[in-house]
Amino acid sequence: MRSLLIRCYPARWRERYGDVFLALLEERPLGPYDVADILLGALDARLRSRRRGSPTTQGRGSPMSLRIGGFAAILGAVLWAVGGLLSIGVAGDVDGQVPVAILMVGMIVLLVAVAGLSAFQARSHPGAIWVAFAITAIGTVVFFAGYAGSVMIGGDGFWGLWFIGVVTVMLGSGLFAAVTYRTRVLSRVGAALIGIGIVVILGEAFLHVEALIPVGMACFALGWLTLGVEAIRLDRPASAIHPA
Amino acid sequence: MTTKTPAFGRFAEPSLLILVSLSDGPKHGYAIMQDVEQGSGRPMGAGTLYAALVRLEEAGFVEPLTPIDRRRPYRLTAIGATMLAEQLRGLTGFAQQGLRQLHELEP
Repeated sequence: MRSLLIRCYPARWRERYGDVFLALLEERPLGPYDVADILLGALDARLRSRRRGSPTTQGRGSPMSLRIGGFAAILGAVLWAVGGLLSIGVAGDVDGQVPVAILMVGMIVLLVAVAGLSAFQARSHPGAIWVAFAITAIGTVVFFAGYAGSVMIGGDGFWGLWFIGVVTVMLGSGLFAAVTYRTRVLSRVGAALIGIGIVVILGEAFLHVEALIPVGMACFALGWLTLGVEAIRLDRPASAIHPA
Repeated sequence: MTTKTPAFGRFAEPSLLILVSLSDGPKHGYAIMQDVEQGSGRPMGAGTLYAALVRLEEAGFVEPLTPIDRRRPYRLTAIGATMLAEQLRGLTGFAQQGLRQLHELEP
């Protein structure tokens, strides 16, 4: 995978830095955060390579940061809370496609959050973090397949896919939360809330107490919100104030 | 001596962290990443590190040394040290001004 990532950089860059960069990547396990960071770095190198010779050679790339994951976690939490509450009819009669579309966007955003918040966990548990990312991604794809099917074909036959997608994304989030809790990074309270939310929602399937769903959704969303706020707090720029 | 800081855009922050890391001696990439993470508590990925290092090298603020076992150390140049000192003095002055103003507001 490391060789593939280096191939994303321009040839001239690889000639100059490729060997030492590969050695650097071999120093520690790579997680989704690192892969995203390298891809953004490669994009930056390509933009700079194209702009060479023009007055501005700084490029417009962006570094990967906890902030990206933090904002994604907060947005994902809000979308999950809104989509979840709408889907159980809290806001009255709403077109069924609306909460599904909100949840789908929320899943994609949570996938970004899992990648963006996984920098430290991937150092000690790279396998578990990749599995959490993969499960969340698979859940999102399954949910999207259900959504696409319902829009293109119609009917209620796609509820099963939606449900499997939601449960799968929750399991991915649960694994991510467990690793986060265990590695003592970000907020352990946030990680615990995500876990509690999942247990409560999945428990409802056996207990059939509908009142548990909003409670579980609230815990799940609050957990992600807490992780996101903590990530942004950790990533406060040291030089955000530009001296005169 | 006046040193102009080039616009590093979104890589200004990682660049400053790298320069601070190199201020106590040459380091290779992995050592810089570890140093920055321990000092700031924030992760620094390899992509960000090299995007910032390339800018710093082109600006003449750092220079590469001969690689040892596929690890290439970098060191701060004289102009890089001057620019870093200016940046840190500016930040310190600004922080002191802010703290003075805050102090004036206290009852």
